Amino acid sequence: MSKLRKKILLVMVACIIATLTVLPAFAAEKMLEVAPGVLRRETIIIEDPAGRIENPDNFNRWAPGVTTSSTGLQQLALDTLWYIDPDAGISTPWDNSLAATKPIYNKDFTRMTAKLRKGIYWSDGVEFTADDLVYTVETCMAHPGVLAYGANFEVMVDKVYKTDDYTVVFELKKPNSRFHGLFTVRWSACFIMPKHIFEKVEDPVAFNFNPPVSLGPYVLKDYDKTGNWFLWERREDWQRTSLARFGMPQPKYALYINPGPSDKRVMAQIKHDLDVIHDIAPEGMITLAEKNPTSKGWFKGFPWAHPDPTLPALILNNERYPLNIKDVRWALTLAIDIVDVSLASYKGAATISAIAVPPTGGYLSWYFDSMEEWLGDFTLDIDIDGAPFHPYDSSATLRIAERARKDLGDIGNQVPTDPMEIKKALGYGWWKNAPDVAEKLLLRNGFTRDKAGKWLLPDGTPWKISIAVEGPARPIMTRGGTMIAEQWRKFGIDAKTVVIKLLWQSMSYGDGDAFMAWCIETWGGHPDLFWFLESWHSDYYRPSGEPVVFKNPMRFKNAELDSIIEGIQGLDFDDPKCLELGLEYVKLCVEEMPLIPLMSYNVFTVCDEYYWEGFPTFENPYTNPVPNWANSKYMFPMIRPKTTE
Amino acid sequence: MKYGFFFRYCLQRVGQCLLVIFIGITITFVIPRLAPTDPVESAIATANMSGQYTHPEAVAEIRQALTELYGLEGGILEQYFNFWKRLLKADLGPSYSSFPTPVMDLIRRSLPWTVGLLLTSAFIAWAIGNLIGGLAGYFSQRGWARTLGVFCMAIRPTPYYIMAFVILVLFAYILPIFPLSGGLAIGVHFSFSWRFITSLLKHAFLPSLSLVIVSGGAWFLGMNSLVSNIVAEDYVVYAEMGGVSNRNILFRYVMRNALLPQVTGLALQLGMIFNGALITEYVFSYPGLGYLTYNAVFSGDYGLVIGIAIFSIIGVAVAILIIDLAYPLFDPRIRHQ
Repeated sequence: MSKLRKKILLVMVACIIATLTVLPAFAAEKMLEVAPGVLRRETIIIEDPAGRIENPDNFNRWAPGVTTSSTGLQQLALDTLWYIDPDAGISTPWDNSLAATKPIYNKDFTRMTAKLRKGIYWSDGVEFTADDLVYTVETCMAHPGVLAYGANFEVMVDKVYKTDDYTVVFELKKPNSRFHGLFTVRWSACFIMPKHIFEKVEDPVAFNFNPPVSLGPYVLKDYDKTGNWFLWERREDWQRTSLARFGMPQPKYALYINPGPSDKRVMAQIKHDLDVIHDIAPEGMITLAEKNPTSKGWFKGFPWAHPDPTLPALILNNERYPLNIKDVRWALTLAIDIVDVSLASYKGAATISAIAVPPTGGYLSWYFDSMEEWLGDFTLDIDIDGAPFHPYDSSATLRIAERARKDLGDIGNQVPTDPMEIKKALGYGWWKNAPDVAEKLLLRNGFTRDKAGKWLLPDGTPWKISIAVEGPARPIMTRGGTMIAEQWRKFGIDAKTVVIKLLWQSMSYGDGDAFMAWCIETWGGHPDLFWFLESWHSDYYRPSGEPVVFKNPMRFKNAELDSIIEGIQGLDFDDPKCLELGLEYVKLCVEEMPLIPLMSYNVFTVCDEYYWEGFPTFENPYTNPVPNWANSKYMFPMIRPKTTE
Repeated sequence: MKYGFFFRYCLQRVGQCLLVIFIGITITFVIPRLAPTDPVESAIATANMSGQYTHPEAVAEIRQALTELYGLEGGILEQYFNFWKRLLKADLGPSYSSFPTPVMDLIRRSLPWTVGLLLTSAFIAWAIGNLIGGLAGYFSQRGWARTLGVFCMAIRPTPYYIMAFVILVLFAYILPIFPLSGGLAIGVHFSFSWRFITSLLKHAFLPSLSLVIVSGGAWFLGMNSLVSNIVAEDYVVYAEMGGVSNRNILFRYVMRNALLPQVTGLALQLGMIFNGALITEYVFSYPGLGYLTYNAVFSGDYGLVIGIAIFSIIGVAVAILIIDLAYPLFDPRIRHQ
């Protein structure tokens, strides 16, 4: 090789080495920006579970068909009177957000007064006043059934008016002690419209509200026309928003993205490109626990997930024979082994519930602690070996923990061993798997077995039952439903799962035997059950074939329950007697078993403490971390940039 | 006389095409209405699932209002005639899940992404697959031809989802050269700038690669098999014996003859572009028509489902029409008939 050639070769090698070393450095530098001028260390990147938004130009949260609700819109730009955190809240679960006080009712609950905070401004500099609230209600009422909450106002509100710039009075058509629920965020609520913007619009239904004028601490900076990301920037005058009471929201920017399927979310977080995952499959959580030390769940270790105040259950159609028989519903319950269901659905990371409220937030002390003794004493009206049968099994979660510890291998040590910790994380207990008792319950109702051991109805025809599941759209529940069907088959019932993509519609019309879904949703941070229980009243009962009214897809009708609901309705929201009546409801549901409660809706929200720290956890439960909830706004003043990075 | 035959031939084909479109659209209109899908109930169920409080008495009012708003009142015949009236004015009505956005707007937003990705990928895959397949079929005894054959045979049965995911993990995670998802980088918008073009290409590369590998492999195998048969034909043997160069035999005699079914296949594939590529778009979070269809089906938005289906029906029917009309130009045997 000539000298010249050697030199050329040497220069080329040097160039390649320089390129390989310098370029990644430049690339890394570039990576510190998520968008031009938007520094990564000033930005929190959050998953919006709504996925790709088909109509990203529409921010009119009150209009039908708006799909941008959880792109940061309801979390960062909209606000309303009150919030109830499903956990402990920053100071208390209840927060007077735009309101200065709690709702003020007259004695017979026909009038509610809302006192508003002073010094709150829209992002365009106009002050928020009573006019905005009155305008919101009147505009929604003018389009009942079309604008959000319009139909509710139409049904409930006789008159709405202001008495001064910071006081609004609602005259109600009928006594209603829970009217404030419309302005109280659980996941969402009726947010307040900017009157000065909407009043100039000809059609508030067709109006896009783009760019949205914000009442929260962030404004929309930019968004993707294909609906994959929405970038919000902290307002310079963030002090003039209700959240300022808790300090400055720390991230200068908040980026809500559609990161794609579960596996991609895991990859993105390992690369530190996604700070908050809304939800992933349990397998994804296990991978993150193994591979990314900065990934943190709600619990320090297993089961990691945040238990939402929602109760997935096996919703039985109480109108369908033989599910209309109490003994049959109990027999089906006792034919279930919850340990296997928990392992099949959540790989054991479920927080199970034997009663008809979710085991989350304050409900552990209000309902679960209060019910434990009663549940232990509870007996079914059947004798086993000469003694009444006690169906409650307080050791179910200990067995789940033990199985999970074995199944998880290397990270099995993250499963708690202390029974008290197990109770809080995995639930208090469930019903015994007692097929022998289930058999006796069926036999005494005229059921028989054929030669192959299959159950026959009293008329001699085979007993078939189908469990509707949503399939790949909701894999955890589908896996749970499939396991239950398998257990029932083992017990001798011809059971199967049916995948119905539009399960909620099917359930609404009562088109099926049993559905893996939910209809019990609580505040989590308040013991009142009225908001889901109201529609269980027999006044709202609708037979199969007609769409259900709100939350009673079981089509359960019970006079005792009616009087419990009426009792709660007549009491103030904070009256301690509401809890007593709530406990009566729980006992009634145990006795009647209109649906089979399973577990709380555990959401694997995983926060990466690489760029930010101080996310809410079970030890520091200042808010719900699930980022599509409007309550997650409370996270923003509480997190801190990670200084070590 | 010749022109008269051609005119009749064209008229017959156009008539068939219009009939197919009419029947297809009518079926598309009827099927969603027979399915247990109701956009009003879907809207109520969505509100129900998301944990928003609704007073029980308000539910009935919402149901009535949305039925009126969505134009779902009246019998199916009345709805059908209204549907055709609107369709002839190129109005597909509103999307129920993104109300009141017109269906046409949603399709218009997604279509360029799908067409851009699928059209490019389809042509690249077709060209590469056929060229290499033809070469491999002609030189079937060579080692590289056998290796390629084995490679394509291995790819063929691999589920596309797995292939796409492997490519994604390899080039976006293990070797982070390409982005994990999306159609453009954050902060980049449509413009005639270098930044936009590079971002677009970078984001389209992996989805396109996955489509080219899978689809190109199929074209390769098809062409390979066709050429393998043709090389044994008498006229090819005669040409070889006559001393015609390999290059001329391959490109002028063999591949030209083998190309006809492949052209038909390509035209059909192009017609199917309007269906989108659901799995590609889902895996790579690419903002196309496939993902739009997926969302429409799951949200019970049959206005949108019908809109996309209409595009697809017209696309396939027109593609078939073009093939029918163009065939006489490609194939002298049809001209002769």
